[in-house]
Amino acid sequence: MNLKEQLEQDVFIRLKQNVDRIQNILGHSSDLVKREFFIMDNSDFEVTVIFIDGLVDENQIDKTILSPLLNNNRNLQFLNELTKSEEIAQALTKKLLLIPSINTVIKFQDAIDELLAGSTLLFVDHCSQAFVLSTQGWDSRGIEEPQTETVIRGPRDGFVESIRVNTSLIRRRIRDPMFRLQSMKIGERSKTDVAIAYIDGLVREGLVEEVLERLNRIKIDAILESNYIEELIDDAPTSPFLTVQGTERPDKICAGIYEGKVAIIVDNTPFVLLVPTHFWTFLNTSDDYYTHFMMASFNRLIRYMAFIISLTLPSMFVMLVSFHQEMIPTPLAITIAAGREIVPLPILLETIIMEFSFELMREAGLRMPKPIGQAVSIVGSLIIGQAAVEAGLVSPIMVIVVATTGIASFAIPNYFASFSIRLIRFPILIASGTLGLLGFSTIFVVVLIHALSLRSFGEPYLAPIFPFNSSDQKDTMVRAPWWAIEKRPVDVKDDPERDTKGQKPTPKK
Amino acid sequence: MKSQISNAMLLAIIINIVYAKAIGVTQGIIARQAGGDMWIVTIFSTVFGLFIMFLTVLIIKRSPQKNILEQTKDLVGKWGEKFLALVMFVFFLGAYGGIMITVVYHLMDYFLPEVPTYIFVVLVTGVGLYGIIKGVEVVARLAILGVFSIIFLNIFLLLGSLDYFDIQLFLPVLRNGFFNAVEVTKHHNADWAMATLMVAIILPMVKQKEKWMKYSTKALIIGGGFILMWPILEVGVLSPEVAGQYIVACMQMARSAEIGLFIHRYELIMIIFFAISALIQVMMCLLCASIAAKHIVGGENLNLLLFPVALILGGFGYWVVNDHIRAMDLLTYYWPRVATPITFAVPIIVFLLGIIFKKNLVETNGGASM
Repeated sequence: MNLKEQLEQDVFIRLKQNVDRIQNILGHSSDLVKREFFIMDNSDFEVTVIFIDGLVDENQIDKTILSPLLNNNRNLQFLNELTKSEEIAQALTKKLLLIPSINTVIKFQDAIDELLAGSTLLFVDHCSQAFVLSTQGWDSRGIEEPQTETVIRGPRDGFVESIRVNTSLIRRRIRDPMFRLQSMKIGERSKTDVAIAYIDGLVREGLVEEVLERLNRIKIDAILESNYIEELIDDAPTSPFLTVQGTERPDKICAGIYEGKVAIIVDNTPFVLLVPTHFWTFLNTSDDYYTHFMMASFNRLIRYMAFIISLTLPSMFVMLVSFHQEMIPTPLAITIAAGREIVPLPILLETIIMEFSFELMREAGLRMPKPIGQAVSIVGSLIIGQAAVEAGLVSPIMVIVVATTGIASFAIPNYFASFSIRLIRFPILIASGTLGLLGFSTIFVVVLIHALSLRSFGEPYLAPIFPFNSSDQKDTMVRAPWWAIEKRPVDVKDDPERDTKGQKPTPKK
Repeated sequence: MKSQISNAMLLAIIINIVYAKAIGVTQGIIARQAGGDMWIVTIFSTVFGLFIMFLTVLIIKRSPQKNILEQTKDLVGKWGEKFLALVMFVFFLGAYGGIMITVVYHLMDYFLPEVPTYIFVVLVTGVGLYGIIKGVEVVARLAILGVFSIIFLNIFLLLGSLDYFDIQLFLPVLRNGFFNAVEVTKHHNADWAMATLMVAIILPMVKQKEKWMKYSTKALIIGGGFILMWPILEVGVLSPEVAGQYIVACMQMARSAEIGLFIHRYELIMIIFFAISALIQVMMCLLCASIAAKHIVGGENLNLLLFPVALILGGFGYWVVNDHIRAMDLLTYYWPRVATPITFAVPIIVFLLGIIFKKNLVETNGGASM
């Protein structure tokens, strides 16, 4: 009998057969632990407890399973009268075991799934069902500040690798009875726990069904990180733009849920997904909502400028210096020309080499241990940059342009969105260096049309600017004060009001 | 025609489809023929455009699910539809030549004189084709950005030129006579015809038909206002004599505009902000020509026709722009003779046919017309 047939079989009535089958299915794994004993020394009730070492909380097993069943002081006369399988099951679940969560399964497939998820299996002789006792417990990283999305002001907690901890972090912020959490397992072999979270009544009609449909469509052997899900539910899988937002911040996820979005939480990763996603949200930070609205708006405008600089500065520089020198004010043109006097490379090649070097340093700095990574950045940017200028390989203004572009790209709060912008920069750069203004405009408009054509779970990716929606502008390029943001985004159909009408504080006269 | 766009998007497309050509190339020709009255010509032409737009919307409203070609089929049969489609294809083919003159000469004459002409035509047509493949909705969203760009460009140019503005240059008003001014509107009328004939084709794709009239006419007034600023500045700053010396008069305006030392020579600013409007013209021209071609050949799949139509329009565009003298001769002398009858005759004839054969339209609509 092959493995699949074994899994599809029902649990046997004989204990030994069940234990043998479990061991057989799991190939006598060394971390499989079994404990055989009689309930209250009663030889008519032989039981075996099976669990995977490292996935369970052994203290809990001891206190809630073994101790109650081995305790000789309890009056268990009634046990002798039990003969049927159902009676034994009822007695165990209602009278003997102290564990809070008990389920019974009758198929080996279900029993194995639960065992591998950290539950403990309990088999009783003469009982044709397996008891699944919820004893999950493994070491996990504590809640820490997210590494990729730091804030000046705001909560410091970030998601961790445990789905249950992550859902609790969301629950703590949303005490709404309409909050919904739906779980499923994805991955033929990994059976990774995935949950979607949303607020019923806020979420756009059909969005939850769409998310579930896309998740259920996934057929893959393993999900090790939420990016697996992201790539498999993406609206634009071949686009450099991200149409699904991933974040480590529970507050960001909750803000999204309050705006009618759906969160997708995946076990074993601190990155939770949020859909639908609009491009402009990648330029927002959590701080924007926790600081004074003027400060937040100013910072946002800086980030929008950083986005434009990051995307176009090297291309504009190459385009102007190579093809349209007359557009540069004369004193500046002379300075640039003086700096480039001894540089042997054409400007396009010089820029590509510098951009490539910058990316090289960034990648090297990222992959190395932190202290060494910082050293690499410093050595790379200061010493090599200085040496390259002095050697006449690159012009000083090129160093300024590339460094400014790099810094601008780091000002984009979402690292992954910033990376996609960096990718787009290269075709624009090459087009500008070969065809000047024509190349720049052509590729830029192609990228723009592509971005305009994108949708994220049915919503235009560049909304609310394209298509333009005036009420949503209060939280797009600038952040209006909370008392002025009276409505949720337009896509929230059922409950558009935030209940902030007339909240502008006025001092007593 | 499954795509659905909003009335605001229609407004944006109408503004964009006229703007790029009307502010420069057309104004240069008008300046040569009407002198200092070029701004009056622009106003007259906008009024004519308003009338034709009004008529066009009335026509489509008779059977809101059908464009002008489909309505013509209901009114006078298949061959009538094919003939009108051919006329409209010829119009958009000719208009594409004008658009290519606008786009290519802006870039070639002012920025890239050594780049071969075919590269401009291939890239611009390629981008237009890409936009149309992505759909009208995407083009419409781009048009919204185009409107913002137009507003920025107008403000920039106004700020950079007002110092040199001289009201004396407007005098005498109507210096070449009222009738000359009316006659010269033919150049700008051809620009507005792109908008009205496009509306005749794409209006069924627009949601909320009760707002069609309001938004179409509003677009014409707003678009006309945006355009009108240019001949006023071209007269008041450059003088009509100087404006008439240039193929692309608006670029000469941009070249002379400045704010301080570091924001000088606006050519680059001009291209950055005007490029989207020019590309919207390209895209909508390709789309409308493809729809007309679909009605000529009687096919069902528009996508199959996009590429051959782009080849025809691109080829014609290349032939036009490859020789400056031929381009300007065509645009100045021959194009108005083709465009003017189409501009006025098509909507008026279809409107009258609708009155005469009203029964046909009612029967085919199951009594749901008007």
